[in-house]
Amino acid sequence: MKNGRLVALVLILSSPAAMAQSPLDLLTAGDLADGERLFRIHCARCHGIDGAGGEGSNLARPALQYVNDDEQLIAIIDDGIPGTGMPAIWSLDDTQTTRVAGYVRTLGRLEAEEMPGDPGRGRRVYQDIGGCPACHIIAGHGIGIGPELTTVGDQRGLDYLRSSLVAPAEAQSQTAGYKDYLTVRVRTLEDRVEGLRINEDAFSIQVRDVAGSVHSFRKDDLIEFEKVFAHSLMPEYGASLSGQDLDDVVSYLMSLRSER
Amino acid sequence: MKKTIMVAALLVSPAVHAEVSFERLVNAADDKESWLTYSGTYRSERYSPLVEINTENVVDLKVIWAYQMQPSTHTGAGLVETTPLVADGVMYLTEPPSTVTALDARTGKRLWSWTPDIDEDVKNIGFPKVNRGVALLNDAVYVATLDAHLVSLDAATGAVRWDVAVADNDIGFALTLAPLAIENRIIIGVSGAEAGVRGFVDAYDSATGELDWRFYTIPAPGDPGSETWQGDAWQTGGGSTWLTGSYDPDLDLLYWTVGNPAPDWNGDVRPGDNLYSCSIIALDPNTGELEWHFQYTPHDTHDWDANQIPVLLDAEFNDEDRKIVALANRNAFFYLLDRETGEFLHGNEYSKQTWASGLDEAGRPIVIPGTDPTYDGNLVWPSLQGATNWFSPSYNPETEQFFVATRLMGSVYYKADVEYEEGEPFLGGGEQALSGDDAAGAIRALDVLTGKQQWEFMLHSPPWAGVMATAGGLVFGGSNEGNMFALDAATGEALWDFQSGGAVRTNPMSFAVDGKQRVVSTGGGTLYVFGLE
Repeated sequence: MKNGRLVALVLILSSPAAMAQSPLDLLTAGDLADGERLFRIHCARCHGIDGAGGEGSNLARPALQYVNDDEQLIAIIDDGIPGTGMPAIWSLDDTQTTRVAGYVRTLGRLEAEEMPGDPGRGRRVYQDIGGCPACHIIAGHGIGIGPELTTVGDQRGLDYLRSSLVAPAEAQSQTAGYKDYLTVRVRTLEDRVEGLRINEDAFSIQVRDVAGSVHSFRKDDLIEFEKVFAHSLMPEYGASLSGQDLDDVVSYLMSLRSER
Repeated sequence: MKKTIMVAALLVSPAVHAEVSFERLVNAADDKESWLTYSGTYRSERYSPLVEINTENVVDLKVIWAYQMQPSTHTGAGLVETTPLVADGVMYLTEPPSTVTALDARTGKRLWSWTPDIDEDVKNIGFPKVNRGVALLNDAVYVATLDAHLVSLDAATGAVRWDVAVADNDIGFALTLAPLAIENRIIIGVSGAEAGVRGFVDAYDSATGELDWRFYTIPAPGDPGSETWQGDAWQTGGGSTWLTGSYDPDLDLLYWTVGNPAPDWNGDVRPGDNLYSCSIIALDPNTGELEWHFQYTPHDTHDWDANQIPVLLDAEFNDEDRKIVALANRNAFFYLLDRETGEFLHGNEYSKQTWASGLDEAGRPIVIPGTDPTYDGNLVWPSLQGATNWFSPSYNPETEQFFVATRLMGSVYYKADVEYEEGEPFLGGGEQALSGDDAAGAIRALDVLTGKQQWEFMLHSPPWAGVMATAGGLVFGGSNEGNMFALDAATGEALWDFQSGGAVRTNPMSFAVDGKQRVVSTGGGTLYVFGLE
């Protein structure tokens, strides 16, 4: 299926119509400045004010996961990406969408961020000193308490990665405004559990503890129920790792990218 | 044996379709086993007088039958916001975007279904591809479609009787509301302010589909109210009318609510109060003439449509018998008006807001300077979706309690430069809502005459579903997380809940069949009918 789409794309690209200029090539500096303003209103909350990612993925890179060409970039802004947090931005008209797409494309032309340290050494710090595989999976190795990091270099920039090591409670990722790894503490008549919120509604909450066990509670059975927003189960590595170690781990994480 | 059963069934349900006269609609409150119009009655109380399901036994509520909506071929059409109507053993509901379906109210088996041919590229600028339900009058069903048509269907077969184009979808007009049937007229309003349309309320002859009258919610130069506009701004002034109104048969007055002025967030291009945006209007249903108006949010710059349900009630207010219209507004204030004159009686904040220090003696908000959207963003409560929205409140006339599903969320509001372009979004800004862990929802009970909160039941997120109170002492509601629940109306305590598996975005309703009470809500694309047995 994927190959079929690729062939179709090649055919389209080589047809005379596709040789025409992309609408993004016609944008003026003023148009791009307008695109940047609109990006701040509609996109920055998830993708970061500079597009380097946050709740949404990092857009400041040459290739984006869902984007093969300019047309597709425009379509994604128009229609969203089903099954992800990316909504359709219906409130932009065609001109505005084109300008936002143009601005997003300029983000990818920025030079890639320079690694502050040695990724090879960072890999060893990650595994041995940091003990990170106890809670994170990379390419199938490790335990999945915290987020998987296999392609984290695609999604997060340098600043975000560093702050998530030094102050993990402040740098937690979110989905639709909900912390993905919120610490909760609950107590029932029989049980006391600290763990990460998996899901929640008005009547129940589901929690994964640090051993990986899943607990489900009815809220009216709880004697105590605390959401600890200013806390992360992940240790703060600012004190336990040296400056060099941190630079190296950040570099290793930056190097974790998908093939495309 | 088989023959006997058939005869018995025929005796119990002699009709195969609804037959709902105007007189029956006027007396809907006495027609306890039916649900004849969008909000239950012309007074829009969304209150069921049925008592079989009550605080003692609601814990035993279970699913009697369910109906799965047909998947639409329309991209993005999946949200279900319909309130089903039930009359004479038949349930009439809509499925997104504009399908009408008739079900056997006893079993949920489909009797007929009608789907209009709507272009895939139909314009729905500023709202999802939804429909909130039908109107019943005599032997016909009326539906307002997304591509801005009003259609009359045969209640027995679903065959089209007439189909009229209300307005041009190409420039942004669309219809999502349940029509209101009064005497021999079908009343509707339009969506489209986010595309800069000029809103109106229409009345059509129920037999022929002929336009009887039209009231424009944005006055033309020279008309009363035009002094609140400057230049040509009125031509693209918005003022949508996208939610069903209420009706007082004694006063013979129709109450309709009006949405935001356009463009939404940049008020610089439309100086003035911008009547009749964000207002309630009282119209003569025979002529469409304006009897009075009250503007909740003059010169709105936050998209705080007044398209909420106006609830009619009679009560003693300050030692005087008053005919009142109550409304919990998107702008976070709760209002009581005299519905004969439009006089402001009372108003108070019922949900967090940071834009007004209160209301003056005439009910006009005292706006806190610096709360308009700006180019750099300005954090204000409530969010543009409001402290509440289209989903219905409920009023229990026995206990004088007003129940409202409340959204506790702020937004950073942005202003942007904007030029009108036909059939395109005309907004002048945007918002970044403080969603997720920064937001919440609540079902709140208010003393209707003081607006004071009696209790609240917290929800995980700001709701998109309404509430229904019953004479059984219950308040039914739903959540985005799929919960359907019944609260004790006296205390707010949850007595029953059910995880439906999909976001609840409808208003509950209730009916009875074979003498047994049923409660209805939808979760995702599934309609659930609950009962005790």
